[in-house]
Amino acid sequence: MVLMDQKMVFDSPQKGRMGVFSRIFAGAVAVFLCAAVGGCSDAPPASRPPTVVATTTIVADLVRQIAADRVEIESLMGAGIDPHSYRPTPRDADRLARADLIVASGLHLEGKLAELLQRMSRRTPVVFAAEAVAESSRLEAADGIPDPHVWFDLALWAACIEPTVKALSDLVPEAAAEFAEAGAQYRATLLENHAEVQSAIAAIDEQQRVLVTAHDAFRYFGRAYGIEVVGVQGVSTESEAGLADINRLVDLLVQRQVPAVFVETSVPDRSVRAICEGAAAKGHTVETGGRLYSDALGEPGSGADTLVLAIRANVQVICDALGADGDERQAERTPAAEEASETQ
Amino acid sequence: MSLLTAAAHVLGLSPNTFVVTVGMAAVGMAAGVVGCFSVLRRRALVGDAAAHATLPGVAIAFAITGSRGLPVLLLGAALSAVASLGVLVLLRRFTRTREDAATAIVIGVSFGVGVALISGLVARGVPGSGGLERFLLGSTASLSTADATMLVVVSLVAMALVAAFTKEATLVSFDPGFAAAAGWPVWWIDFALVALTAVMVVVGLPAAGAVLVTALVVIPPVAARQWTDRVGVMLVLAGLFGLAASLLGVALSATIPGLATGPMVVLAASAIFTVSLLLAPKRGLLAIAMRARQPLSLPLERAQP
Repeated sequence: MVLMDQKMVFDSPQKGRMGVFSRIFAGAVAVFLCAAVGGCSDAPPASRPPTVVATTTIVADLVRQIAADRVEIESLMGAGIDPHSYRPTPRDADRLARADLIVASGLHLEGKLAELLQRMSRRTPVVFAAEAVAESSRLEAADGIPDPHVWFDLALWAACIEPTVKALSDLVPEAAAEFAEAGAQYRATLLENHAEVQSAIAAIDEQQRVLVTAHDAFRYFGRAYGIEVVGVQGVSTESEAGLADINRLVDLLVQRQVPAVFVETSVPDRSVRAICEGAAAKGHTVETGGRLYSDALGEPGSGADTLVLAIRANVQVICDALGADGDERQAERTPAAEEASETQ
Repeated sequence: MSLLTAAAHVLGLSPNTFVVTVGMAAVGMAAGVVGCFSVLRRRALVGDAAAHATLPGVAIAFAITGSRGLPVLLLGAALSAVASLGVLVLLRRFTRTREDAATAIVIGVSFGVGVALISGLVARGVPGSGGLERFLLGSTASLSTADATMLVVVSLVAMALVAAFTKEATLVSFDPGFAAAAGWPVWWIDFALVALTAVMVVVGLPAAGAVLVTALVVIPPVAARQWTDRVGVMLVLAGLFGLAASLLGVALSATIPGLATGPMVVLAASAIFTVSLLLAPKRGLLAIAMRARQPLSLPLERAQP
């Protein structure tokens, strides 16, 4: 009887907001009290919504689109944080331990967090959303290692809705229908925006349809929307550019008369600036075309705090800098994107 | 900019290669010269301590200003590096902590404080705080004209200072006891030498990164020491070795794609070091081996007749 009760307290899906040890302690106390009183009811009913911890702002947005009203959503990494180099703190471990569901991006995006997530997965369900993308449509970053930045292809990102909806439905079974509907709606939104982005990028002159960025986060974007992508640093932000790579990029810019290169909100921009300087010395002025959201969304209220808004802001910045045919773009200029480009 | 273009054109280099070459040549040379006294004073790791001690300053400068601008971060880095090296000198003077232990303590503590501060900023979700520690890695190939100009100026000043105070620095390095007895302000000279190393390291950091700068402060002087017993010659040689390593490393990285520039410079320096270790006339391993054989063979030959 005593043992059974203890197990029930532990496995209850509605964990309180306590640390591991306090939970064990509370469990022990509860067991003791139950034994003393001589009977015990079920685990306490959930008075607050369950907590879902997302690793990046991008997966947090995914969860929010599906279940904003039903669960408490936390994002481990804030806006402007680079997930490749993010180091988990003990507080993160604590937040993950308190979570009722963990949603991660996966595909090696959370480099230094992966081990912690692995450990957490023994006790808490962990969803790796981006791993729902079929292997055949993944790009490779290096031999056998997938490129994790799948969210830049909105149609591909739509594949991540299903496993997230499923995990959320397991967590709050009574809202399953609601989640399924929100998921379907979000899917439609993504696909709609996918088409819009496609036509927006297609308006750029083909010769200049080159996206030069600090690190190779935009390869999915390039493939989906038909723009050549050249990263200075490679897929991860952890590597250093060599001089030959820098020179090659400068030559590319000068040859194709690319008018602008881009910096990312979560990556230092020294290499990009060096390239601009090199091209300028060769008589071709390159502008830094503004900041792109890559591995993190904007802050709340920045007008780019959802994936769709961030991508629209990116597209706006790209089209403005690379000289898309003006008229077509003006129609699509959203207030959010305007604000995002003003803050640069 | 036009001057830059012209100079690059005359040499047949791309503008970026030219900027990186000039910047790294200056750093390599000055680091070699300044590093001589660290090595002679048996403080090879002071540069390393200085490099790691920049991190708290970088974090604090960012926290106060919210800017990732290089001048702001460099100022913070320099202040905290000099402060921690002050702690190093004080530890040595007022406690019985040994030099190596004190250096290790300064490296560990300052790096720990830096990482703690940065992770604190990241955990609070301060935008732009992610990857601040990458400041320590540097990226040589991304030197801008402004960076290179600053490197050249600081390097020239540092070398001029060393040239002006060679006598004092030599005396303090070889016989601090005598220097103190003769009335020299030994601790101040000591601190000035350490601070000079610190400034050199801090300035070189964004260009070269912590490990590389440390290597440039240590390897060329040690290689130079192989060839000579005179401080003046050692200073010149160390500067030349540092210069050669920089030029070679930059050239390799500019020719072969995918090779980061900083590590190539270090590899070039270590090649020079290896050659010096083997071939130097008196202290080289080869010379020592030859000398070791001679005394043995001579008595045997005499014994024969």
